[in-house]
Amino acid sequence: MVSMNTAIQIKNLSFAYNSKQVLHAVSMDIPARQVTAFIGPSGCGKSTLLRCFNRINDRIPGAHLTGGSILVHDIDINRRDIDLQELRRRIGMVFQKYNPFAKSIYDNVAFSLRVAGPTKRDELDDIVENALRSAALWDEVKDRLHASAFGLSGGQQQRLCIARAIANQPEILLMDEPCAALDPQATLKIEELIRELKKQYTIVIVTHNMAQATRCSDQTAFMYLGKLVEFGPTMQIFENPKDPQTEAYITGTFG
Amino acid sequence: MSSQHILREFDKGMECLKADVLLMASLTRQNLERAMRSLLERDIDLARTVIADDSDVDDLERKIDQGGMDILVRFHPVASDLRLVITSMKMAHNLERISDHAVNIAKRAKKICKTSPLEETSLTEPLYTLADKLLRDALTAYTDANAELGESLKTRDKELDRLHKQMIASLSGRLESSAGRSENLLHLIFVARSIERIGDLAVNIGEDAVFLGEARDIRHEHRKPPADPAEGGI
Repeated sequence: MVSMNTAIQIKNLSFAYNSKQVLHAVSMDIPARQVTAFIGPSGCGKSTLLRCFNRINDRIPGAHLTGGSILVHDIDINRRDIDLQELRRRIGMVFQKYNPFAKSIYDNVAFSLRVAGPTKRDELDDIVENALRSAALWDEVKDRLHASAFGLSGGQQQRLCIARAIANQPEILLMDEPCAALDPQATLKIEELIRELKKQYTIVIVTHNMAQATRCSDQTAFMYLGKLVEFGPTMQIFENPKDPQTEAYITGTFG
Repeated sequence: MSSQHILREFDKGMECLKADVLLMASLTRQNLERAMRSLLERDIDLARTVIADDSDVDDLERKIDQGGMDILVRFHPVASDLRLVITSMKMAHNLERISDHAVNIAKRAKKICKTSPLEETSLTEPLYTLADKLLRDALTAYTDANAELGESLKTRDKELDRLHKQMIASLSGRLESSAGRSENLLHLIFVARSIERIGDLAVNIGEDAVFLGEARDIRHEHRKPPADPAEGGI
């Protein structure tokens, strides 16, 4: 039985792209309503692991689980009868390169709601406003909701993508290097937003930026060569890591 | 320094650090004041209070160091923020040392109080008055990041050193003819030594205030080589 405080339980998860094994028996419990950061060198499997949580890897030919399981609130998400659309509504995702649709700001947020089924205009207005407010974007865009999303700055476009994800009222938000394409100020705004959003959502973030992990995460997982090396409270990982490999990586003496 | 940071948790951490340093400074001054009162008014209970309260100061030193380290690790502060974190941790160290000296004074006060009154005790009063003034000004310099006030302490401490030497000479002279009071006179010599050290620690805090306010390191300046070696001729 998974603890009420665990949002995602990963048990001995192994994963491969064709014959190339990229994750080796990873086990961890990701706590609910906290920010968990995955760090590690390129190719260590952190993005692959993140993308297993909403099965977005399914789109890659040859990508498949070779063992273990992922339970989201006790439900095995790799069961055959899982509705993928529903899974991805419950587990939203924000990508490295902000990717708004070629639509207005309003329609970007409203799009997936319309796809899900007819919604009354008033309700839609409320949901869009709430999502934009939650993404700390409302005050900046409320006077130009029907202007193109492409007119926004990079940081604003990324916050719009976050608004789009939370408009679906997901339980979990996955973020794959969400600030990699942003300047330092826009990065700090997203990080502050992440700290706010964790009150409502479980957030898992992949980042190459260790400073970002320290600033905005509660838990940190260090991965290397497809294995989970160390997982614990962020301050413990960065002040007193238990594993020499973690110490070597975060102090920059790796390899 | 008063403007808001984008990350609210950073502001919270910094505010907490500042508040803890202020609290520690106030507890330390209180401990010192009570220690001296216990000596001058022969109040054993007050001396015991000082000894007991020192653990609060120790706890705050640990808390400030941990808080400072957490901020360094999490937020990588720069410029005035970095100087505030570094000097807060150094403040905590200096204040803890001052409180230890207060405990030392209180312990010796306890021993002196158990014997008949010692007229020489009052000799420590002018020393303490000056040291306390230095400490107060050091703390003001730090909280206001007032470099001018901080820098003035080094010169003013020389007067405390002079008074200290004078007192040691006076007490040493009396030791030879002390007839059974020598142990207490020695206690007083160590009390004077503690007060003199508190003056030095106030100077250290003043130096940190200069660093905090203007990013200048004025420590050990008399040993620094001249800016232009061609003109200096060491």
